[in-house]
Amino acid sequence: MNASDHNRWSEDLAAYMLGALERDEAAEFERHLEGCERCREERRWLEPAVQTLPEAVERQEPPRQLREALMAEVHDDVREAQARPAAARSRRWLLKPAVGFAVVALLVAGVVGYEVGNDGSGGGGASTLERDIGPLSVKMVQDGDSGTLQLSGVHQLPPDKVLEAWVERDGQVEAVPALFVPDRNGQAETRIADMDGVEVVMVTEEPQGGSDQPTGEPIMTMAVPQ
Amino acid sequence: MAVRREKAERLADEELMPLVGRKDPEAFEVLYDRHGGAAYSLAYRIVGDRAAAEEVTQEAFISVWRSGARFDATRGSVRSWLLSVVRNRAIDFLRSRAGKAPKLTFDDDAVLEARPAAERTEDEALQRETAAEIQGALGKLPGEQSKVIELAYFGGFSHSEIARILGLPMGTVKGRMRLGLEKIRGELAEGLA
Repeated sequence: MNASDHNRWSEDLAAYMLGALERDEAAEFERHLEGCERCREERRWLEPAVQTLPEAVERQEPPRQLREALMAEVHDDVREAQARPAAARSRRWLLKPAVGFAVVALLVAGVVGYEVGNDGSGGGGASTLERDIGPLSVKMVQDGDSGTLQLSGVHQLPPDKVLEAWVERDGQVEAVPALFVPDRNGQAETRIADMDGVEVVMVTEEPQGGSDQPTGEPIMTMAVPQ
Repeated sequence: MAVRREKAERLADEELMPLVGRKDPEAFEVLYDRHGGAAYSLAYRIVGDRAAAEEVTQEAFISVWRSGARFDATRGSVRSWLLSVVRNRAIDFLRSRAGKAPKLTFDDDAVLEARPAAERTEDEALQRETAAEIQGALGKLPGEQSKVIELAYFGGFSHSEIARILGLPMGTVKGRMRLGLEKIRGELAEGLA
Protein backbone atom coordinates (compact mmCIF):
# COMPACT_ATOMS: atom_id res chain seq x y z
CA MET A 1 0.00 0.00 0.00
CA ASN A 2 1.39 3.40 -0.91
CA ALA A 3 1.32 6.52 1.23
CA SER A 4 -1.60 8.13 -0.56
CA ASP A 5 -3.74 5.01 -0.06
CA HIS A 6 -2.97 5.08 3.62
CA ASN A 7 -3.69 8.79 3.89
CA ARG A 8 -7.08 8.34 2.28
CA TRP A 9 -8.08 5.75 4.87
CA SER A 10 -6.37 7.54 7.69
CA GLU A 11 -8.81 10.42 7.23
CA ASP A 12 -11.61 8.08 8.33
CA LEU A 13 -9.90 6.78 11.44
CA ALA A 14 -11.17 9.36 13.92
CA ALA A 15 -14.73 9.16 12.56
CA TYR A 16 -14.55 5.38 12.86
CA MET A 17 -13.32 5.53 16.43
CA LEU A 18 -16.08 7.98 17.36
CA GLY A 19 -18.74 5.70 15.86
CA ALA A 20 -19.47 8.30 13.18
CA LEU A 21 -19.02 6.17 10.06
CA GLU A 22 -22.08 4.59 8.50
CA ARG A 23 -22.30 0.85 8.83
CA ASP A 24 -20.98 0.07 5.36
CA GLU A 25 -18.18 2.59 5.70
CA ALA A 26 -17.19 1.14 9.07
CA ALA A 27 -17.13 -2.39 7.65
CA GLU A 28 -14.98 -1.24 4.74
CA PHE A 29 -12.67 0.61 7.07
CA GLU A 30 -12.26 -2.48 9.25
CA ARG A 31 -11.28 -4.53 6.24
CA HIS A 32 -8.60 -1.97 5.51
CA LEU A 33 -7.53 -1.90 9.16
CA GLU A 34 -6.78 -5.60 9.13
CA GLY A 35 -4.13 -5.11 6.50
CA CYS A 36 -2.74 -1.75 7.54
CA GLU A 37 -0.33 -1.73 10.45
CA ARG A 38 0.04 2.05 10.28
CA CYS A 39 -3.69 2.56 10.79
CA ARG A 40 -3.71 0.03 13.61
CA GLU A 41 -0.82 1.86 15.23
CA GLU A 42 -2.62 5.19 14.88
CA ARG A 43 -5.73 3.65 16.37
CA ARG A 44 -3.74 2.36 19.36
CA TRP A 45 -2.27 5.82 19.82
CA LEU A 46 -5.64 7.60 19.64
CA GLU A 47 -7.62 5.05 21.67
CA PRO A 48 -6.92 6.71 25.05
CA ALA A 49 -8.32 9.97 23.67
CA VAL A 50 -11.63 8.30 22.85
CA GLN A 51 -11.65 6.55 26.21
CA THR A 52 -11.27 9.94 27.87
CA LEU A 53 -14.55 11.22 26.43
CA PRO A 54 -16.96 9.38 28.76
CA GLU A 55 -14.72 10.29 31.68
CA ALA A 56 -14.92 13.98 30.79
CA VAL A 57 -18.64 14.35 31.44
CA GLU A 58 -19.91 16.16 34.50
CA ARG A 59 -20.34 13.66 37.30
CA GLN A 60 -23.92 12.87 38.32
CA GLU A 61 -24.88 10.94 41.40
CA PRO A 62 -26.89 7.90 40.35
CA PRO A 63 -30.16 7.56 42.24
CA ARG A 64 -30.18 4.98 45.03
CA GLN A 65 -33.19 3.25 43.51
CA LEU A 66 -31.16 2.47 40.38
CA ARG A 67 -28.78 0.28 42.36
CA GLU A 68 -31.67 -1.27 44.27
CA ALA A 69 -33.69 -2.03 41.13
CA LEU A 70 -30.64 -3.43 39.35
CA MET A 71 -29.65 -5.73 42.17
CA ALA A 72 -33.27 -6.82 42.70
CA GLU A 73 -33.36 -7.90 39.06
CA VAL A 74 -30.03 -9.68 39.42
CA HIS A 75 -31.16 -11.55 42.55
CA ASP A 76 -34.45 -12.45 40.82
CA ASP A 77 -32.42 -13.99 37.99
CA VAL A 78 -30.32 -15.96 40.44
CA ARG A 79 -33.38 -17.25 42.30
CA GLU A 80 -35.07 -18.13 39.01
CA ALA A 81 -31.99 -20.01 37.81
CA GLN A 82 -31.74 -21.93 41.07
CA ALA A 83 -35.41 -22.88 40.86
CA ARG A 84 -35.15 -24.24 37.34
CA PRO A 85 -34.11 -27.76 36.50
CA ALA A 86 -30.60 -27.83 35.08
CA ALA A 87 -31.74 -28.84 31.61
CA ALA A 88 -33.94 -25.77 31.35
CA ARG A 89 -31.41 -23.23 32.61
CA SER A 90 -30.49 -21.96 29.22
CA ARG A 91 -34.08 -20.89 28.73
CA ARG A 92 -33.36 -17.64 30.43
CA TRP A 93 -34.88 -15.26 28.00
CA LEU A 94 -38.30 -16.46 27.08
CA LEU A 95 -39.58 -14.05 24.53
CA LYS A 96 -42.89 -12.98 23.16
CA PRO A 97 -44.63 -15.62 21.07
CA ALA A 98 -44.95 -13.07 18.26
CA VAL A 99 -41.19 -13.10 17.81
CA GLY A 100 -41.29 -16.84 17.42
CA PHE A 101 -43.99 -16.61 14.81
CA ALA A 102 -41.92 -14.09 12.90
CA VAL A 103 -39.01 -16.52 12.84
CA VAL A 104 -41.23 -19.30 11.58
CA ALA A 105 -42.62 -17.01 8.89
CA LEU A 106 -39.10 -16.18 7.74
CA LEU A 107 -38.31 -19.81 7.72
CA VAL A 108 -41.26 -20.70 5.54
CA ALA A 109 -40.26 -17.98 3.13
CA GLY A 110 -36.56 -18.72 3.06
CA VAL A 111 -35.73 -22.34 3.67
CA VAL A 112 -35.04 -24.48 0.69
CA GLY A 113 -33.37 -27.64 1.96
CA TYR A 114 -30.62 -29.21 3.94
CA GLU A 115 -27.76 -31.53 3.65
CA VAL A 116 -27.87 -33.81 6.62
CA GLY A 117 -24.97 -36.06 7.48
CA ASN A 118 -23.51 -37.87 10.43
CA ASP A 119 -20.15 -39.05 11.58
CA GLY A 120 -20.82 -42.60 10.56
CA SER A 121 -20.33 -43.95 14.02
CA GLY A 122 -23.86 -45.16 14.46
CA GLY A 123 -26.52 -44.00 16.93
CA GLY A 124 -25.68 -41.12 19.21
CA GLY A 125 -22.90 -39.66 17.03
CA ALA A 126 -22.62 -36.09 15.76
CA SER A 127 -24.91 -34.98 12.96
CA THR A 128 -24.27 -32.12 10.60
CA LEU A 129 -26.57 -29.76 8.75
CA GLU A 130 -25.14 -27.57 6.02
CA ARG A 131 -26.77 -24.80 4.03
CA ASP A 132 -25.86 -21.81 1.92
CA ILE A 133 -27.95 -18.80 2.88
CA GLY A 134 -27.21 -15.87 0.61
CA PRO A 135 -23.51 -15.10 1.06
CA LEU A 136 -23.29 -17.28 4.16
CA SER A 137 -22.32 -20.91 4.46
CA VAL A 138 -23.88 -22.34 7.57
CA LYS A 139 -22.88 -25.54 9.30
CA MET A 140 -24.65 -26.86 12.38
CA VAL A 141 -22.91 -29.72 14.13
CA GLN A 142 -25.06 -31.38 16.73
CA ASP A 143 -23.49 -33.77 19.20
CA GLY A 144 -25.80 -35.13 21.85
CA ASP A 145 -27.59 -32.29 23.60
CA SER A 146 -25.22 -29.59 22.46
CA GLY A 147 -24.42 -28.08 19.09
CA THR A 148 -21.96 -25.81 17.34
CA LEU A 149 -23.07 -23.27 14.79
CA GLN A 150 -20.37 -22.36 12.26
CA LEU A 151 -20.81 -19.49 9.83
CA SER A 152 -18.56 -18.59 6.89
CA GLY A 153 -18.72 -15.48 4.74
CA VAL A 154 -19.89 -13.20 7.56
CA HIS A 155 -19.33 -9.50 6.92
CA GLN A 156 -17.14 -7.57 9.34
CA LEU A 157 -19.12 -5.94 12.14
CA PRO A 158 -18.84 -2.37 13.37
CA PRO A 159 -17.02 -2.26 16.74
CA ASP A 160 -20.26 -1.68 18.65
CA LYS A 161 -21.99 -4.78 17.26
CA VAL A 162 -21.85 -8.49 18.01
CA LEU A 163 -23.58 -11.58 16.69
CA GLU A 164 -26.18 -13.20 18.90
CA ALA A 165 -27.72 -16.60 18.26
CA TRP A 166 -31.30 -17.50 19.15
CA VAL A 167 -33.09 -20.80 19.32
CA GLU A 168 -36.78 -21.52 19.09
CA ARG A 169 -38.43 -24.41 20.87
CA ASP A 170 -42.01 -24.91 21.93
CA GLY A 171 -42.89 -21.70 20.10
CA GLN A 172 -40.57 -19.62 22.31
CA VAL A 173 -37.42 -17.82 21.20
CA GLU A 174 -34.47 -17.88 23.62
CA ALA A 175 -31.12 -16.14 23.47
CA VAL A 176 -27.98 -18.25 23.36
CA PRO A 177 -25.85 -16.77 26.18
CA ALA A 178 -22.47 -16.55 24.40
CA LEU A 179 -22.14 -13.64 21.99
CA PHE A 180 -19.70 -13.96 19.12
CA VAL A 181 -17.98 -12.03 16.34
CA PRO A 182 -16.50 -13.07 13.01
CA ASP A 183 -12.74 -13.38 12.66
CA ARG A 184 -10.85 -11.56 9.92
CA ASN A 185 -11.71 -14.32 7.45
CA GLY A 186 -15.43 -13.95 8.04
CA GLN A 187 -15.67 -17.15 10.08
CA ALA A 188 -17.84 -17.11 13.19
CA GLU A 189 -18.75 -19.86 15.59
CA THR A 190 -20.87 -20.25 18.68
CA ARG A 191 -21.83 -23.14 20.90
CA ILE A 192 -25.42 -23.94 21.77
CA ALA A 193 -25.30 -25.83 25.05
CA ASP A 194 -28.86 -27.14 25.02
CA MET A 195 -30.19 -28.32 21.66
CA ASP A 196 -32.96 -30.38 23.21
CA GLY A 197 -36.19 -29.61 21.33
CA VAL A 198 -34.67 -26.80 19.26
CA GLU A 199 -36.68 -26.32 16.09
CA VAL A 200 -35.04 -23.23 14.61
CA VAL A 201 -31.67 -21.50 15.01
CA MET A 202 -31.33 -17.85 14.07
CA VAL A 203 -28.53 -15.25 14.23
CA THR A 204 -28.92 -11.48 14.42
CA GLU A 205 -26.57 -8.54 14.74
CA GLU A 206 -27.03 -6.88 18.12
CA PRO A 207 -25.49 -4.02 20.11
CA GLN A 208 -22.42 -4.85 22.15
CA GLY A 209 -23.50 -6.66 25.30
CA GLY A 210 -26.27 -8.43 23.43
CA SER A 211 -30.03 -8.01 23.61
CA ASP A 212 -32.81 -9.72 25.52
CA GLN A 213 -34.72 -10.20 22.30
CA PRO A 214 -33.77 -9.89 18.64
CA THR A 215 -33.65 -6.28 17.47
CA GLY A 216 -32.18 -6.71 14.00
CA GLU A 217 -33.10 -8.66 10.91
CA PRO A 218 -31.73 -12.20 11.08
CA ILE A 219 -28.62 -12.77 8.99
CA MET A 220 -29.64 -16.45 8.90
CA THR A 221 -32.36 -18.80 10.07
CA MET A 222 -32.12 -22.55 9.90
CA ALA A 223 -34.66 -25.19 10.79
CA VAL A 224 -33.43 -28.17 12.77
CA PRO A 225 -35.13 -31.40 11.74
CA GLN A 226 -36.61 -33.23 14.74
CA MET B 1 -20.70 -20.43 44.79
CA ALA B 2 -20.77 -16.63 45.07
CA VAL B 3 -17.71 -14.92 46.46
CA ARG B 4 -18.10 -12.83 49.57
CA ARG B 5 -18.40 -9.10 49.10
CA GLU B 6 -15.11 -8.40 50.92
CA LYS B 7 -13.25 -10.78 48.64
CA ALA B 8 -14.88 -9.39 45.51
CA GLU B 9 -13.84 -5.88 46.51
CA ARG B 10 -10.21 -6.93 46.53
CA LEU B 11 -10.36 -8.26 42.99
CA ALA B 12 -9.40 -6.28 39.90
CA ASP B 13 -12.11 -5.64 37.33
CA GLU B 14 -10.56 -8.20 35.00
CA GLU B 15 -10.79 -10.80 37.79
CA LEU B 16 -14.39 -9.91 38.52
CA MET B 17 -15.54 -10.48 34.96
CA PRO B 18 -15.30 -14.28 34.94
CA LEU B 19 -17.27 -14.31 38.21
CA VAL B 20 -19.93 -12.08 36.66
CA GLY B 21 -20.00 -14.50 33.74
CA ARG B 22 -20.78 -17.25 36.23
CA LYS B 23 -23.66 -15.16 37.59
CA ASP B 24 -22.10 -14.08 40.84
CA PRO B 25 -24.23 -11.23 42.22
CA GLU B 26 -21.56 -10.04 44.67
CA ALA B 27 -19.03 -9.63 41.88
CA PHE B 28 -21.61 -7.83 39.77
CA GLU B 29 -22.51 -5.52 42.65
CA VAL B 30 -18.87 -4.55 43.13
CA LEU B 31 -18.61 -3.88 39.40
CA TYR B 32 -21.65 -1.60 39.58
CA ASP B 33 -20.35 0.20 42.67
CA ARG B 34 -17.08 0.91 40.89
CA HIS B 35 -18.47 2.06 37.57
CA GLY B 36 -22.18 2.76 38.04
CA GLY B 37 -21.54 6.46 38.74
CA ALA B 38 -19.54 6.97 35.56
CA ALA B 39 -22.07 4.92 33.60
CA TYR B 40 -25.03 6.92 34.86
CA SER B 41 -23.20 10.21 34.28
CA LEU B 42 -22.44 9.22 30.69
CA ALA B 43 -26.01 8.09 30.08
CA TYR B 44 -27.30 11.36 31.52
CA ARG B 45 -24.88 13.35 29.36
CA ILE B 46 -26.23 11.63 26.26
CA VAL B 47 -29.96 11.34 26.91
CA GLY B 48 -30.34 14.52 28.96
CA ASP B 49 -32.85 13.47 31.62
CA ARG B 50 -32.56 11.49 34.79
CA ALA B 51 -35.34 8.96 34.29
CA ALA B 52 -34.04 8.02 30.84
CA ALA B 53 -30.45 7.88 32.12
CA GLU B 54 -31.58 5.52 34.87
CA GLU B 55 -33.34 3.30 32.34
CA VAL B 56 -30.37 3.23 29.98
CA THR B 57 -27.88 2.48 32.78
CA GLN B 58 -30.02 -0.32 34.16
CA GLU B 59 -30.51 -1.85 30.71
CA ALA B 60 -26.79 -1.69 29.99
CA PHE B 61 -25.77 -3.35 33.25
CA ILE B 62 -28.48 -5.99 32.94
CA SER B 63 -27.33 -6.79 29.41
CA VAL B 64 -23.80 -7.28 30.77
CA TRP B 65 -25.16 -9.51 33.53
CA ARG B 66 -27.39 -11.59 31.29
CA SER B 67 -25.10 -11.93 28.31
CA GLY B 68 -22.50 -13.72 30.38
CA ALA B 69 -20.32 -10.62 30.49
CA ARG B 70 -18.72 -11.01 27.07
CA PHE B 71 -15.67 -8.93 27.79
CA ASP B 72 -12.65 -9.01 25.51
CA ALA B 73 -9.58 -7.87 27.44
CA THR B 74 -7.68 -7.26 24.22
CA ARG B 75 -10.00 -4.37 23.36
CA GLY B 76 -9.37 -2.27 26.46
CA SER B 77 -10.23 -2.05 30.13
CA VAL B 78 -13.42 -3.32 31.73
CA ARG B 79 -14.40 0.24 32.52
CA SER B 80 -13.97 1.40 28.91
CA TRP B 81 -15.91 -1.60 27.69
CA LEU B 82 -18.74 -1.01 30.16
CA LEU B 83 -18.94 2.65 29.22
CA SER B 84 -19.04 1.74 25.54
CA VAL B 85 -22.00 -0.55 26.25
CA VAL B 86 -23.73 2.31 28.07
CA ARG B 87 -22.92 4.73 25.25
CA ASN B 88 -24.38 2.39 22.63
CA ARG B 89 -27.56 1.86 24.66
CA ALA B 90 -27.94 5.59 25.19
CA ILE B 91 -27.49 6.38 21.50
CA ASP B 92 -30.04 3.67 20.63
CA PHE B 93 -32.41 5.26 23.15
CA LEU B 94 -31.92 8.70 21.57
CA ARG B 95 -32.60 7.31 18.13
CA SER B 96 -35.72 5.47 19.19
CA ARG B 97 -37.00 8.56 21.01
CA ALA B 98 -36.37 10.67 17.92
CA GLY B 99 -38.29 8.13 15.86
CA LYS B 100 -35.20 7.08 14.01
CA ALA B 101 -34.59 3.56 12.91
CA PRO B 102 -31.70 1.80 14.60
CA LYS B 103 -28.36 2.26 12.86
CA LEU B 104 -28.62 -1.25 11.45
CA THR B 105 -31.18 -0.04 8.95
CA PHE B 106 -30.51 3.66 9.21
CA ASP B 107 -31.39 5.66 6.14
CA ASP B 108 -30.65 9.33 6.72
CA ASP B 109 -32.44 10.61 3.68
CA ALA B 110 -35.69 8.90 4.64
CA VAL B 111 -35.43 10.12 8.21
CA LEU B 112 -34.54 13.65 7.23
CA GLU B 113 -37.29 13.91 4.67
CA ALA B 114 -39.84 12.70 7.18
CA ARG B 115 -39.30 15.62 9.55
CA PRO B 116 -39.36 19.40 9.25
CA ALA B 117 -36.02 21.04 8.52
CA ALA B 118 -35.94 22.96 11.80
CA GLU B 119 -36.42 19.79 13.75
CA ARG B 120 -33.77 17.87 11.93
CA THR B 121 -30.86 20.27 12.27
CA GLU B 122 -29.84 22.72 14.96
CA ASP B 123 -32.66 22.02 17.40
CA GLU B 124 -31.98 18.34 17.53
CA ALA B 125 -28.27 18.92 17.77
CA LEU B 126 -28.74 21.39 20.62
CA GLN B 127 -31.10 19.10 22.46
CA ARG B 128 -28.49 16.38 22.43
CA GLU B 129 -25.62 18.71 23.08
CA THR B 130 -26.76 20.71 26.09
CA ALA B 131 -27.18 17.92 28.61
CA ALA B 132 -23.97 18.95 30.36
CA GLU B 133 -20.95 21.22 30.06
CA ILE B 134 -17.88 20.12 28.21
CA GLN B 135 -15.28 19.16 30.74
CA GLY B 136 -11.71 17.97 31.02
CA ALA B 137 -9.68 17.45 27.91
CA LEU B 138 -12.61 18.18 25.63
CA GLY B 139 -12.95 21.63 27.16
CA LYS B 140 -9.46 22.58 26.05
CA LEU B 141 -10.19 21.96 22.39
CA PRO B 142 -11.04 24.70 19.91
CA GLY B 143 -14.82 24.90 19.70
CA GLU B 144 -14.94 23.71 16.10
CA GLN B 145 -13.17 20.47 17.06
CA SER B 146 -15.02 19.78 20.30
CA LYS B 147 -18.33 20.36 18.52
CA VAL B 148 -17.85 17.63 15.91
CA ILE B 149 -16.51 15.22 18.53
CA GLU B 150 -19.46 15.89 20.82
CA LEU B 151 -22.01 15.51 18.06
CA ALA B 152 -20.49 12.18 17.09
CA TYR B 153 -19.72 10.65 20.46
CA PHE B 154 -22.46 12.10 22.65
CA GLY B 155 -25.05 12.79 19.96
CA GLY B 156 -24.65 9.64 17.90
CA PHE B 157 -24.59 11.59 14.65
CA SER B 158 -22.68 10.23 11.67
CA HIS B 159 -20.06 12.38 9.96
CA SER B 160 -22.43 13.02 7.06
CA GLU B 161 -25.22 14.15 9.42
CA ILE B 162 -22.78 16.43 11.22
CA ALA B 163 -21.67 17.88 7.90
CA ARG B 164 -25.32 18.67 7.11
CA ILE B 165 -26.02 20.10 10.56
CA LEU B 166 -22.99 22.38 10.53
CA GLY B 167 -23.03 23.10 6.81
CA LEU B 168 -19.49 21.82 6.33
CA PRO B 169 -17.86 19.51 3.80
CA MET B 170 -17.56 15.96 5.11
CA GLY B 171 -13.78 16.09 4.73
CA THR B 172 -13.68 19.10 7.06
CA VAL B 173 -15.77 17.28 9.65
CA LYS B 174 -13.52 14.24 9.55
CA GLY B 175 -10.43 16.43 9.67
CA ARG B 176 -11.69 18.26 12.75
CA MET B 177 -12.48 14.98 14.46
CA ARG B 178 -8.97 13.81 13.80
CA LEU B 179 -7.33 17.04 14.96
CA GLY B 180 -9.47 17.06 18.09
CA LEU B 181 -8.59 13.50 19.06
CA GLU B 182 -4.92 14.13 18.37
CA LYS B 183 -5.01 17.18 20.58
CA ILE B 184 -6.67 15.27 23.42
CA ARG B 185 -4.11 12.52 23.00
CA GLY B 186 -1.32 15.04 23.09
CA GLU B 187 -2.69 16.50 26.33
CA LEU B 188 -2.83 13.04 27.85
CA ALA B 189 0.73 12.28 26.76
CA GLU B 190 1.96 15.56 28.26
CA GLY B 191 0.13 14.77 31.47
CA LEU B 192 2.00 11.49 31.70
CA ALA B 193 5.39 13.01 30.90
